[in-house]
Amino acid sequence: MSVDGSVYRAPREWTRLHPVSPLLGGWAVLGLIFAYLIHQRLPDWVAGDEGGWDFLDQFPLVGLAIAAALGFAATLAISVWQWRRTEFRIGDDAVYLRRGIVTQQQRQARLDRLQAVDVVQPLLARLFGFAALSVQVAGGEGSGIELKFLRLGDAEALRNEILYLAAGLKEGDQEPPAPADGGDDAGVAGASSFRDLAADRARAFERPEDVLSGRERVRTAVAAAEEREVYRVPLGRLVLSTLFSGPAIFVLLAPLTGLLATVFLKVDVLGGLLAAIGTSLFAIIGALGALLGFFWTRINGGFGFTAALSADGLRLRHGLMETRRQTVPPGRVQAIRLHQPPLWRGQDWWRITLNVAGYGATDEAVSVLHPVATREEALTAVWLVLPDLGEPDPYGTLGFALHGTGSEGGFLTSPERARRLDPLQWRFRGVRATERALLIRRGRWSRELVIVPHERTQSLGLTQGPVRRSLRLANVEVHSTAGPVTPVAAHLDLDDAIALLDAQATRAREGRRRQTPEQWMTAVGLAPASPEGDPHG
Amino acid sequence: MSWYENAAAPWVPVSRRLITARLVPAGIVFGLLVLASLVVALATGEPWFLLGSIAILAIGAWVAWVIVRQVGAHAWAEGEDDLLVRKGRMFRSVTVVPYGRMQFVDVKAGPLDRALGIATVQLHTASPGTDASIAGVPAEEAARLRDRLTTRGEARLAGL
Repeated sequence: MSVDGSVYRAPREWTRLHPVSPLLGGWAVLGLIFAYLIHQRLPDWVAGDEGGWDFLDQFPLVGLAIAAALGFAATLAISVWQWRRTEFRIGDDAVYLRRGIVTQQQRQARLDRLQAVDVVQPLLARLFGFAALSVQVAGGEGSGIELKFLRLGDAEALRNEILYLAAGLKEGDQEPPAPADGGDDAGVAGASSFRDLAADRARAFERPEDVLSGRERVRTAVAAAEEREVYRVPLGRLVLSTLFSGPAIFVLLAPLTGLLATVFLKVDVLGGLLAAIGTSLFAIIGALGALLGFFWTRINGGFGFTAALSADGLRLRHGLMETRRQTVPPGRVQAIRLHQPPLWRGQDWWRITLNVAGYGATDEAVSVLHPVATREEALTAVWLVLPDLGEPDPYGTLGFALHGTGSEGGFLTSPERARRLDPLQWRFRGVRATERALLIRRGRWSRELVIVPHERTQSLGLTQGPVRRSLRLANVEVHSTAGPVTPVAAHLDLDDAIALLDAQATRAREGRRRQTPEQWMTAVGLAPASPEGDPHG
Repeated sequence: MSWYENAAAPWVPVSRRLITARLVPAGIVFGLLVLASLVVALATGEPWFLLGSIAILAIGAWVAWVIVRQVGAHAWAEGEDDLLVRKGRMFRSVTVVPYGRMQFVDVKAGPLDRALGIATVQLHTASPGTDASIAGVPAEEAARLRDRLTTRGEARLAGL
């Protein structure tokens, strides 16, 4: 490997993040909040009807400006101080982070517990060519490590090296030569890298659309595993699907019901509606805001969604304001959910979400496998996660799982007496276990299919309340890690449920025996990809 | 089959002392409520406030009955590969936790539990949905159970 001075090495010694981090970090948010407050309060000050802010009128504008500047400087100083106290390094089995001004905190993310590695680029960072690296490990809330910020190329190189180590490859030849200069001297290192940075940015902006869409390609010391793009979501479909999703129905239905009611019941709905609007304008604005927020979240998160397959596992790329390049190694997906809101039926579109242990349930946008899939893409997406469904005819089985009713395709269904408890859906509920996974189907208008690989079953539950007991029904729960998918096979016949519980316990046991090793490259027959840095482009 | 029969291993019922451990706090709460309603009845002199006291007493008795039945239904079984926990009478559930999926085991005992010589053993998997806590395990058995579970967990440890 030809190492010139500018090629990044993952630090084995304690190293600070990039010196520009405090400028990109949290204080910008504080500034925004401050600006927002001023913007919000300005009319009140002018009108002078808000008592609580009257005291500000005592100060001249200059005083306010000085106060703002001081506040700014203070937050910036704290950010710089935090940056000085934040250091990280990687070892052969873990990524280490230590930080904290008053209380020191040390954290290590063990690579054998690695669940996903994301390169995250908020808009500002993207313009200047920086990225945050977020390493997700199994082990509860907040056990991951987030490195904010590194240069994009460094972040990618670090990610590749982390994945390389986590895959179980440890050959020494891959390790970069020892450094000659001490990386500790931030001033010198910063100056040289700032010059590099400027040149680097100039190069990058020769293709501005790549920078803006988060597809910028950089040189990395450790090459990424080769990837093959599997699908890409067109923007038109994303926007259309968002307009036709669940909350949109409410917007559509509200005036429609009003109209129908006026026509058929001769009720003065319009008068009532006007009165309601008059009294609760605030609430309505809030609701509209929430709706717009929903649309925004969906489009923002799904913008430019691309999925690819590589030896390091699944690679997902998406985001408008904040682009995210996710890498989920093989066998880390705990469960998948395919969901079809009623208005997507005509196009046969599906939204696919997944459970990955490190992501948790906090941010739904992170746990998306496909924001809006056609039927073919949905089948491909399932194949991405579960290459072997354990079925001679996987597509036929999935077809029954997505669209079937009753027991066709070998599904175990709810008995007819479940109708009393569940009049709409009982005919559409179904459970089927293949060799490798459990399929749970439900929903009449809004359809859902949940797939849990047997070896990913954490534990199993059988539950029954008084109503179900009187109908001799029971639920079988498959406990998965925290995330948007909660697999439950509801309203089964009690004997079927008990049999399913026992069978699932056995299948999960067998699944665990043959599951892929945590260090996925150590699996038989997988030769390591060339570790040597072959720069992109 | 009326409910899950476990063929692999015998159910071990939890200690009956758990009834005391659960009745005492419930008794204190309901005792205070009855006392308060009696004070109100005496202070206002309205006799029908006594009906409230009687209602509270009735609810308290029902709660006591539920506690006794719940403890009677609470049991665990150590199978070959999984731990089974059974609980509830009205809302009943069986949880099957493979040893290899256990992340860690908690043994907890409050002051009352310690006085009665019982403890709660709770298993944690990577799933927040796993509800595998066994209340009312005799204290010395709890320590042994924890050690057995840990040993088995290590022997069968699987990734996530």
